[in-house]
Amino acid sequence: MSVKIKGAPLQYANALRRICLNGVPVFAIDTVDVIDNSSVMSDEGVAHRLGLIPLKTDLKRFAEPSKCSCQSKSGCSNCRVMLVIDSGETDTTRTIYSSELSSEDDTVKAVSDKIPIVQLAPGQKLKVEAYARLGRGSDHAKWNSANVSVLTHTDKPDEYVLTLETTGALSPEQILVAGVDELESRLQEFKQTISELKA
Amino acid sequence: MSDTSNKRWPIIQDLLKREGIARQHLNSFDEFLERGLQSIIDEVAQIEIENAEYPYKIQLGKVKLQQPRMMELDGSITHITPAEARLRNVSYSAPIMMEASVVEDGKILESRFVHIGDIPVMVRSNACILHNFSTQKLIEHGEDPNDPGGYFIINGSERVIVGLEDLSYNKIIVDKEKVGGNDVFKAKVYSSIVGYRAKLELVMKNDGLIVARIPGSPVDIPVVTLMRALGLEADREVAAAVSLVDSLQNELEASFEKAADVQTTKDAIVYISKRIAPGMLEEFQIKRAETLLDWGLLPHLGKHQENRREKAQFLGEAACKLIELKLDWISPDDKDHYGNKVIKFAGQMLADLFRTAFRNLVRDMKYQLERSGQKRGINAVAAAIRPGIVSDKLNNAIATGNWGRGRVGVTQLLDRTNYLSTISHLRRIQSPLSRTQPNFEARDLHPTHFGRICPSETPEGSNCGLVKNLALSAIISVNVSPEEIIEKLYDLGSVHFTDAKEDLKRDGTRVFVDGRLVGYYKDGEKLVESLRELRRSSKIHPHVGISFHKSSVEGATKRLYVNCNAGRVLRPLIVIKDGKSLLTPELIDKVSKKLMSWNDLLRMGVIELNDANEEENCFLTLDDKDTKKYTHLEIFPSAILGAGASIIPYPEHNQSPRNTYESAMAKQSLGFSTPMMNTSTYVRQHFMWYPQTPIVTTKAMNLLGLEDRPAGQNCVVAVLPFDGYNIEDAIVISKAAVDRGLGRTFFFRIYEAEAKQYPGGMRDNFEIPNAEDNIRGYKGEKAYRLLEEDGVIATESPATGGDILIGKTSPPRFMEEYREFESKGPYRRDTSIGVRPSETGVVDTVVMTQSNEGGKMYKIRVRDMRIPEIGDKFASRHGQKGVIGILARYEDLPYTAEGVIPDVLINPHAFPSRMTVGMFMESISGKAAAQRGTKFDGSAFVGEKMDEIKTALEGSGLKYSGKEVMYDGRTGKAFPVEVFMGVVYYQKLHHMVADKIHARARGQVQMLTKQPTEGRARGGGLRFGEMERDCLIAYGASMILKDRLLDESDKAEIYVCERCGLVAYHDVKQRKYVCRVCGDKAKVSSVSVAYAFKLLLQEMQSLNVAPRLMIKERV
Repeated sequence: MSVKIKGAPLQYANALRRICLNGVPVFAIDTVDVIDNSSVMSDEGVAHRLGLIPLKTDLKRFAEPSKCSCQSKSGCSNCRVMLVIDSGETDTTRTIYSSELSSEDDTVKAVSDKIPIVQLAPGQKLKVEAYARLGRGSDHAKWNSANVSVLTHTDKPDEYVLTLETTGALSPEQILVAGVDELESRLQEFKQTISELKA
Repeated sequence: MSDTSNKRWPIIQDLLKREGIARQHLNSFDEFLERGLQSIIDEVAQIEIENAEYPYKIQLGKVKLQQPRMMELDGSITHITPAEARLRNVSYSAPIMMEASVVEDGKILESRFVHIGDIPVMVRSNACILHNFSTQKLIEHGEDPNDPGGYFIINGSERVIVGLEDLSYNKIIVDKEKVGGNDVFKAKVYSSIVGYRAKLELVMKNDGLIVARIPGSPVDIPVVTLMRALGLEADREVAAAVSLVDSLQNELEASFEKAADVQTTKDAIVYISKRIAPGMLEEFQIKRAETLLDWGLLPHLGKHQENRREKAQFLGEAACKLIELKLDWISPDDKDHYGNKVIKFAGQMLADLFRTAFRNLVRDMKYQLERSGQKRGINAVAAAIRPGIVSDKLNNAIATGNWGRGRVGVTQLLDRTNYLSTISHLRRIQSPLSRTQPNFEARDLHPTHFGRICPSETPEGSNCGLVKNLALSAIISVNVSPEEIIEKLYDLGSVHFTDAKEDLKRDGTRVFVDGRLVGYYKDGEKLVESLRELRRSSKIHPHVGISFHKSSVEGATKRLYVNCNAGRVLRPLIVIKDGKSLLTPELIDKVSKKLMSWNDLLRMGVIELNDANEEENCFLTLDDKDTKKYTHLEIFPSAILGAGASIIPYPEHNQSPRNTYESAMAKQSLGFSTPMMNTSTYVRQHFMWYPQTPIVTTKAMNLLGLEDRPAGQNCVVAVLPFDGYNIEDAIVISKAAVDRGLGRTFFFRIYEAEAKQYPGGMRDNFEIPNAEDNIRGYKGEKAYRLLEEDGVIATESPATGGDILIGKTSPPRFMEEYREFESKGPYRRDTSIGVRPSETGVVDTVVMTQSNEGGKMYKIRVRDMRIPEIGDKFASRHGQKGVIGILARYEDLPYTAEGVIPDVLINPHAFPSRMTVGMFMESISGKAAAQRGTKFDGSAFVGEKMDEIKTALEGSGLKYSGKEVMYDGRTGKAFPVEVFMGVVYYQKLHHMVADKIHARARGQVQMLTKQPTEGRARGGGLRFGEMERDCLIAYGASMILKDRLLDESDKAEIYVCERCGLVAYHDVKQRKYVCRVCGDKAKVSSVSVAYAFKLLLQEMQSLNVAPRLMIKERV
């Protein structure tokens, strides 16, 4: 999605670009409890791969763990979604795909069914419980809201084009809207900080 | 248009695929087992048991090798596989069985195969059980199907016998030296038969007199006298042995004059004997001289009296070359010419070792059997053999690299950092030359290295040019029986030198086989032709080297050398006949379709193998279009590089040292070294999570299997400074890329513990040490918390420095005397194995097995995830190394209008002085490859050309220059200039901050000096060295100086007697200070000094020196 931004100074436009890139919270798997993993891949490896699977995100229903009312470390149903993989026994070599990731919440699920997680040989098993949380791309790239967030110049001054491409976790429109909100709240926060400063 | 030589690539491909990477090791070892072993035993042939009452002989017969096996503690035998040997820390070796017969009065009474020792078996050799296994079967046996073999497994560790370069044997090498302004001419021969070497030197000084220097003779012997002693009495005979050309004979005048007093053979021997053994009995002197002539002089021609004539002839030839050199008819031989070198591999090295070991065994047998005269028969013989003599000698030598006679470092631990480092290690060649001496010429690249030795791959520093690597096209010759060749030569009409007529001798060509004159032939050039024809029609072995030497000077001697020896470096070339290459497109097609092998081409005479000497007779071309005038066509230009340099794309565009750096660095890159990670038992091992094959590859990379065992990742690289975070060769890496798994590796370390059994029934126990028991070195409950009941940690438990992995207790080191009233029982020591202090990780695998000594053995593998961090080292394939300067935030990085954000930012200053243009070419071809959707071929000299790149890039709307408009991620502004960006393959090198980071406040001190320890592993301090000290002195910062060197180091209070100046002490019982010298009169004061100083005083006292400290009150 490309939008033309007119009349805004470059600094604002770029701030929006940067926020769209990784300032909007999205879901990603954050904690993995490995129950059984006899695959060739290490637990860390499986967890890392799970973390990088983009998940569909509903920003209205969920809160970020730091802002959630539960204030618990493990989280509650408002800030955390459990996803489970249980490969079961197999007697052929097969690949586990993101389609086998079953979520406790229908809205939070893998963007694509075709993301390979690990290949299992006959007799190998994988059983994990994964917890997805909202997070910011500045903490880890798995929470990056947009793939592409590009600000390009036009011939006219103070006119820029912002192009967004997403992983599918959120739509570009959602990101843009959330991004503007985020920018506003950050500016608000900044204003607040300044006002609290004593001359 | 790709290079025309690309068509010939299938030949090299087939050659290396079929022969494998370690062919030179395997050939050498197989030959040793097949013939070397037997010939060493045949040399001894029989053992005479000189017993007064009952003399008999033991006749030694055939040897054969059994399957590799190990003997368990209980004496049972287990047939083992290499994987098992590695896992259980045992040697992969096979028993040698030799037929021994008891012979009495010439009759064989009994015979039997007896075990004479174990010989380590080279993995993948004919004796190895893996020989001829299919891929599937190799996997079932726990082997990497792509493992080249060529190494030994000794006590579980893989050891390579690195190829050793040596001067050719039995070859006359003439040289000119300047001594005090005068020319001195020398002819040297290293005469050698298996395992025995003797050097002979002929020297001609100003006066024209030629003298011989023989080992065993303290003085020089005139060559004419020596020849007389060997049976050439008449002057005419002597002169004829040199040459029949008058101008050459004239040069002998001085030599004849010198030897004028000695005219007969007998006199000559007496003359020599007087000089080598002066002052002895005449009879004895003569005997010594005869031994010298038969054993010390040119032993390769034989050690018997009947060989003397031939030796004289050989001396004549040496003198002839010397004179020709003096007359400037020929030029001095080049010692660095690769035709004058041979490379010794495992087989030859083991032969040396086995000979001495076997002789020791025989001596020991003889001694035992002679002493126990009563018992006889084959059973007694079998009982007298101690196989350990051979087994231990071989095992120890390979395990330590100690070859005896001062040769150390012959074997090395096989480098398993990545697949390339393994391959490269197996193709390494070492020179015996001292690394401390300059030896400039020997280190230089020589024209004859072309196609044999890699021009780029050599270490920097002291070993530069002495350690080399075989080129891909190099093939090491194997031994060929010279008898057959000699027969062929006579069939072709060569005349033996004793039968040759005078004119043939004068004008004909001298024919040598392995340095031995076999005869004369009228027209040398014609003989060369017919010999080569025979070789091309595979009537003689393809490894036989045929070279013809002719000087341009009229009358100079023509020589034809035929070489059959092993260890010459050959290289394949396409034969051009009648101006046309014999390699037709149809043949290439057949080879690429696998209907034909390169061996067939060899047999058909389409290609042939040439050594460096024969290549001197060739006229080579690279161009298959213009083959007139030429004799041979090069097969493939890239194959002149070795394994290490073969991974560099477009290396011909780099400054040459950069390729050398990269060849060294590629061996440190982390990747996918083996698919058998789960059973891997290497003590240290790295493993990359997401290795990639390079998008710009080379033909050799694929061929060597490096695309199946990659070590690196393709990164989007922009050449751009970034706020100073990439100055001085630092690189900026995108944090997002790192989050997504870029450069992520595992580090595995294996910890081992073995429960040993000690004499007296004591043994080690695996258990959780109990605080209540009397255990010395108990580490506190916390350290053992991860152990399970059996004393071993569970898999997947996270362990950090100091945590115990295996709990173990051992009996006391020394059994103390029994103390009856000791309240406590006998103590035990805690010998638990814990994670190294500065490391952490997760327990990956726990293996329990039985060791060689029969004890229970655990191997525990701990894995540690290594995410790239600031300070980790990375490099591209062009010697452009750097450490991470910052993990830059995703939103701060520059971006293109397309939204591409680079993974790596490299500073533009990395290029102008280093001139690694190849990296730019890789960058844009990588970009083009990404657009095109297929890999680019960046092979040296023949890679895809720049117009291909242009098409691919411009086709997708990118600029051929590789430059793009980029925006600064922090400001959103476009950079005022375009930025060069492309795809470059980056390697993560195994120097990581996690392995090196170190700091210390307080900590351990050394026991002897009480100064802080040194090194990270011991939690040591950072040395405040001399130069740092100098700085403080210059500043006059005396208190800081004292603080560093005394207070924070080994400050100690000592008591000094002011009266005598000697060290006193404080007696705690009497509560007073005592000076043993002055007694009551002493006045003792306390002084603070460095403990090392106190130590010095005491050490001096132990040497009977009394150091006295004259102390005064501080004012």
